[in-house]
Amino acid sequence: MRFEFTELNDVELALQTDVRDFLATTLPRGSFEPGLGMAGRKDPAFSQQLAARGWVGMSLPREYGGGDRAAVERFVVAEELLRWGAPVGHHWVADRQSGPLLAKVGTPEQKERFLPAICRGELSFSIGMSEPDSGSDLASVATRATRTDGGWVVNGTKVWTTGAHEHDWIIALVRTSDAEDRHAGLSQVLVDLRAPGVEINPIPFLDGTVDFNEVVFTDVFVADTDVVGPVGMGWAQIGQELAFERGGPDRWLSTYLVLEQYLREHGDALDGAMVELLGAAAARFWGLRNLSLSVARAIDAHGQPSVQAALVKEMGTRFEQDLLEEVRRLVDVEPVPDSPSLFERLLANAILTSPAFTIRGGTIEILRSVAAKGLSA
Amino acid sequence: MSGIDPLLSDTATRVFADTSTFAAVEQAETDGWAPAIWDAVAETGLAWVSVPESAGGSGGSLADAVEVLRIAGRHAVPLPLAETGVLGGWLLAGAGLDIPDHAVSVVPGLPRDDVRLDRGALTGTAHRVPWARAVGTIVLLAEDAGRAVVVAVDANDVRVHAAVNLAGEPRETVGFDGVVPLAVAPVARGLDGNALRQRGALARTAVMAGALERLEELTLEYTATRRQFGKPVGTFQAVQAHLVHGAQESVLVSVALAAAVRATEAGPARFEIAAAKLLADQAATTATRHAHQAHGAMGMTREYPLHHLTRRLWAWRSEYGDERAWSRTLGDWIVAAGPDALYPVIAGGSRALESAMTVAPSGARDDT
Repeated sequence: MRFEFTELNDVELALQTDVRDFLATTLPRGSFEPGLGMAGRKDPAFSQQLAARGWVGMSLPREYGGGDRAAVERFVVAEELLRWGAPVGHHWVADRQSGPLLAKVGTPEQKERFLPAICRGELSFSIGMSEPDSGSDLASVATRATRTDGGWVVNGTKVWTTGAHEHDWIIALVRTSDAEDRHAGLSQVLVDLRAPGVEINPIPFLDGTVDFNEVVFTDVFVADTDVVGPVGMGWAQIGQELAFERGGPDRWLSTYLVLEQYLREHGDALDGAMVELLGAAAARFWGLRNLSLSVARAIDAHGQPSVQAALVKEMGTRFEQDLLEEVRRLVDVEPVPDSPSLFERLLANAILTSPAFTIRGGTIEILRSVAAKGLSA
Repeated sequence: MSGIDPLLSDTATRVFADTSTFAAVEQAETDGWAPAIWDAVAETGLAWVSVPESAGGSGGSLADAVEVLRIAGRHAVPLPLAETGVLGGWLLAGAGLDIPDHAVSVVPGLPRDDVRLDRGALTGTAHRVPWARAVGTIVLLAEDAGRAVVVAVDANDVRVHAAVNLAGEPRETVGFDGVVPLAVAPVARGLDGNALRQRGALARTAVMAGALERLEELTLEYTATRRQFGKPVGTFQAVQAHLVHGAQESVLVSVALAAAVRATEAGPARFEIAAAKLLADQAATTATRHAHQAHGAMGMTREYPLHHLTRRLWAWRSEYGDERAWSRTLGDWIVAAGPDALYPVIAGGSRALESAMTVAPSGARDDT
């Protein structure tokens, strides 16, 4: 298990400065309600402003409107947006994984149809993996695509589908054959979330907010031109897709703003324990960032750091929860969601949503299995 | 780490593997010194890497020296290696003093020490001095008529009260009863107790990173071999969690060490060094817990080598600043830099910290 130390070069540091200046100007503190990491609110207009700067679809090919930029450059932009609490929700999934997946395995026609709109910050995507009976055991998905003239008919149900009620498209993992090897029968298909036969039912979150959905497919027609990659390659493709999803700054910055905002509101009256917590948290953020940046650099060097990414995500998401709990323990407030204090609102929101950190995008138990296999390899 | 001569790593690995064996480390704990290991590191010059050749050292960069220490940590080398070169050699050479060809110890300078240099003689007591009885020269920082000076003392001229750390390494109490030093010279510019504390922290982080790496390797080996319920215990998810959590702490510290070395070579490095030592101190707690749990009773025996690593990690986490001290120091810097600098410091380290410190913190509040 190796992580090579790396740091930002001058070009990357200049990009960091550009993003900071942009945020300070376009989205000054106090002008918006910041969110917790990638749970930042959705704001298509903001996504399009970012896109105009070339900061959406950075890793996508230039011929389709992307930036052909390195993973490290995307890392730099992502960490600044997340730590600012910027409203990244509209483009986040499209930028992080749907776009890169289509760029990698999509047909020229699909790339032409989707990538430019993703790079303009217009199109939004949902992830169609989990099902009522398929969570960590993703290979057991039962949503079925049956062959028909010119395409497939899809039936089944996806759950925990973030943003499906607002997003444009979903890339669904479906069973296209009953091959003996259950991995071999899986494919990924693009489904328009407004298509006939798609029913979207909200699954309210425990705090009453609605971002989760159940997506029911009833005889939904999917044209051959909307199959992503070769039929039967779905399992291999989601393996790569999950590697995009893991190990990045969205996996350790979710509670960062709680800490910063505490310092902002109470910095002139900190007790010793809080000062020590600030010091220890800064050190661990720095340490995690070193590892996370190392993963991005390895991707740019054409490595396949999927084990390293799992290791970082497992550690990063636990830290997000631990940090929150340590702050909560030290502050003398009852967190309420409608407090006039931004710190208290962030704290309340984080307490209510933090259990998801170690579940979403692969539970820490699954990540440990992935990482442990890599350790002994 | 980049830029390190692979030959140096190979040499250090070979020398320590040949000499710092399980039996030799055990013997050193009984005897208080390991002459055969010392002879090997002296002969190869490993003890003086990073000390300029012009001053009598072996030359090489700080990164080279840290690499040697990291490998020494893997092998639990029972010698004042850092004290002889990276700390003692650095202090002496910086002050223009000669580097002796024997082992050197350095007084870490604890708050309870009260050593004073008065009219050319040292009086007082210094604590937790590594291998004070075994080395030839003891080096310390002192004040001489208001000037910070480096002082070299013949170890035969002091009173030594035996004391050890949790790993059985000598950490002695040294009494100076009007000792006339071998040499006194002004410190290199900018050098003070804080600079020594930082460099000591970096040196301890290096050996801890090595020990953590080896700890993880031993644990992986053991859990792949040890069978229960008909299969290797390392195939059980509950045990895998220990392996993963231990590995995470190890890589966290290894990369932090590399970052701290890089920062030290490039300019201001106080944030990186403090953060790296703090992460190492925390890892010493969590990684040893995971390693011991994965080993079961075998790890608790004297005959199995785990304790050469875990006892050292428990000892070193208290030296040159423990978790509490570095958390507090880092926290004080963060508070002084202010909320707008918090993320820039996390991402940019000491450079961002220094630039935030030169701009007076606004203290601006934003309750929106």
